Amino acid sequence: MWGNGERSVKRGWRAASAALMAGLLVAAAGCSGGGQPSGGSTEVSGATITVALGAPPPAAALKDFTAQTGIKVKWVNLDWDSLQTKISAAATAKTYFADATDVDWSRVGQLGKLGWFYPMDSYLDTKSMAADMPQLASFTTGGHVVGIPYDASFMVTTVNTKLLKQAGVSGTPKTIDEYTADLQKVKSSGTVKYPLNIPFSAAEGLSTYWYETTGAFGGTVLDKQQKPAFTSPDSAGYKAAQWMVNALKTGLVPPGNINVADSQGQQTLMAKGQVASTFSDYSGNVGTLYNIKSSSSVVGDTQYIPTPGANGPAGNLSNPDGIGIPKQAKYPKAAAEFIKWFTSAQKQADFTGLNGTDKVYSGFTIPSRLSVVQQMTAKGNLDGGEELQAMLKTAQPVFPGGAPSWYPKFSNSVYTNLHAAATGSITVDAAMKAIADTANQAASGS
Amino acid sequence: MTFSRGVESSSQAVGQPGAAPSGGVTTVVVRRGRRRFEVLPYALVAPVMIFIIALALVPAVFTIVESFFTVNPLDPPTRFSGLANFVHIAHDKAVISSIGNTAFYMVVGVLLSTAMALAIAVVLQRPFRGRSLVIAVLILPWALPGVVEGILWTGIFDPNAGLINSLLTTLHLGGTGVLLGQSRLLTITLIELVQVWQITPLSVLLILATLQLIPDELYEAAEIDGCSPWRSFLAITFPLARPGIAVCMVQAVIATINIFDQPYILNGAADTGASLTMQTYFISFQNLDFGQGYALSLLITAVTLVISLGVVRAIYRKVEL
Repeated sequence: MWGNGERSVKRGWRAASAALMAGLLVAAAGCSGGGQPSGGSTEVSGATITVALGAPPPAAALKDFTAQTGIKVKWVNLDWDSLQTKISAAATAKTYFADATDVDWSRVGQLGKLGWFYPMDSYLDTKSMAADMPQLASFTTGGHVVGIPYDASFMVTTVNTKLLKQAGVSGTPKTIDEYTADLQKVKSSGTVKYPLNIPFSAAEGLSTYWYETTGAFGGTVLDKQQKPAFTSPDSAGYKAAQWMVNALKTGLVPPGNINVADSQGQQTLMAKGQVASTFSDYSGNVGTLYNIKSSSSVVGDTQYIPTPGANGPAGNLSNPDGIGIPKQAKYPKAAAEFIKWFTSAQKQADFTGLNGTDKVYSGFTIPSRLSVVQQMTAKGNLDGGEELQAMLKTAQPVFPGGAPSWYPKFSNSVYTNLHAAATGSITVDAAMKAIADTANQAASGS
Repeated sequence: MTFSRGVESSSQAVGQPGAAPSGGVTTVVVRRGRRRFEVLPYALVAPVMIFIIALALVPAVFTIVESFFTVNPLDPPTRFSGLANFVHIAHDKAVISSIGNTAFYMVVGVLLSTAMALAIAVVLQRPFRGRSLVIAVLILPWALPGVVEGILWTGIFDPNAGLINSLLTTLHLGGTGVLLGQSRLLTITLIELVQVWQITPLSVLLILATLQLIPDELYEAAEIDGCSPWRSFLAITFPLARPGIAVCMVQAVIATINIFDQPYILNGAADTGASLTMQTYFISFQNLDFGQGYALSLLITAVTLVISLGVVRAIYRKVEL
């Protein structure tokens, strides 16, 4: 007969066994996810795919997609920085993370070299898409497309016409010199104390501002062989950096901008009428920020202008976001179906509100398809649509030879050194040399 | 007779097996050498051990091993490289610059948060009306995620529209205002103040928990002996709170050496405020040089361990109440 103590021991064993099993199961669950072989399933209908991007589109749109294809979508909302970290960590560890996720223009070279994403041309007819998606070129590396742009983002110059008129500035500046003279006139008239917004915080926004300004000065930051093209004082990149730092030192830019990031400057300076212009602004900001009453005090006062260049209007540089399929995806074919749907002209028209406000995808600024931009412009749904449409047609990739695989390291060097030049701790010349050293070392693999 | 956890209880007198109970006193006899091996305690801690092994020890061993390898998907294959990763990071200007910043964060953060926590804990030691509410409010900064705090303080420090600079402008004390990034000392001081604001609440709770164990009789005796409050603090509170202070200092050392959110959000990647853990992030996830990232992580861990042991050795004293 079992005594109390023996029963107690038996109960203890059972409890211990249960606890041990629970622990093992939870630990196993925590460690799972790895080991999914690349290649994935060809299952389409019935598959549940994970899409990791920013804010999700309307739930009704995703339901429609499921009804059409039988593919269920689990949406994971992550900010850009977290997404990039997770993409790198998952790809390096060869673990599943998502079936479709962000492909930023700046990571295209890196992703191409690493082979972390499926070539989209294996799943979609990217050649036929190119005519309607001018920015597809920014996602092409080694002859393959690694992501499909879903949002046409490019850098534009915006001005506050009301402030310019108050200062007695008439006409649109066509060159950098005219633009600078207009800003000086605004300052000297006392309309605003600091007329220009340049975000000098050591962050990506400072790098892209410099790329766009370099383009305006008639050059590129890296040449087609991805060598630095900004070390000579006569080069466009050097002149652009000098112009930006001089703008701060001569009082065109608020002194506090040494610690202002791009979106912060747009929201607290441009949208509040504190400055008269942002030379390298986000495309779409007029409609999505400056003309929104709740976030702006300059409604109806801002507009896009052709980018003032060295000898006349310059082009615009693209920095779009795309969506692609990681190699560890469980359902790559289903993910491709989703991307096809997500970037289709019909869906982009829905997301921009062309087919009713209930279908609007908040945060979706400018569609990547030219045909949808044209529809929006024709219907008056896009503030500054005609200007944006013209710019989108000719917008160029930042790097003519494609984004280098070492871009993140290069960009880090760009924004930390330009920031240091702005604070006065180093000269522009030293900043250019330091950035060039980083590029040369990275390119040589040392 | 019942068995319970290897202890046999009986009504026998100590040292006199079989003797009759004397005076009705029940004693407990612990028979050494006859303890059975009990599986239950080990089984109960097994799930936690599995977690610790899987999520802490295995990655730690992995980090140590991989820090001696070149692990970079842009530069395959993974190969043994000896001390090359350590040599490289020792010559990395950004890492060197971050060492000074991180040392400042640690020294100022640990001393300031501990001093403030001790002062606040002493104030909260005695019951008063609304004490619970004060403690609840006090803990809020600690409960907020670092990123949220960074964004909150970005608004406060905003050079153009922030609270501090607006106040300075209103009071005509402005000039160019308080600008993060303008000078290294100002930048790291402001960043560390934000972190101290975040980590101090936990330190307060740790020290307060220790203070709650000090018997009131000690203070009453001190008062009868004519001790001033300051003298009581020096002779009773501080010595008896040393275990709690040591724990709070160690957690502050760990938090300050690993500071990331505050400098990254408030000051971007600028070298005026960048910390060592930020460099680990840049090296690992921007440059994809995981080998160097492992090496730097390992060094940070080793330094944290050495400093923590030093703090424990200097501050901790065993207290028996």
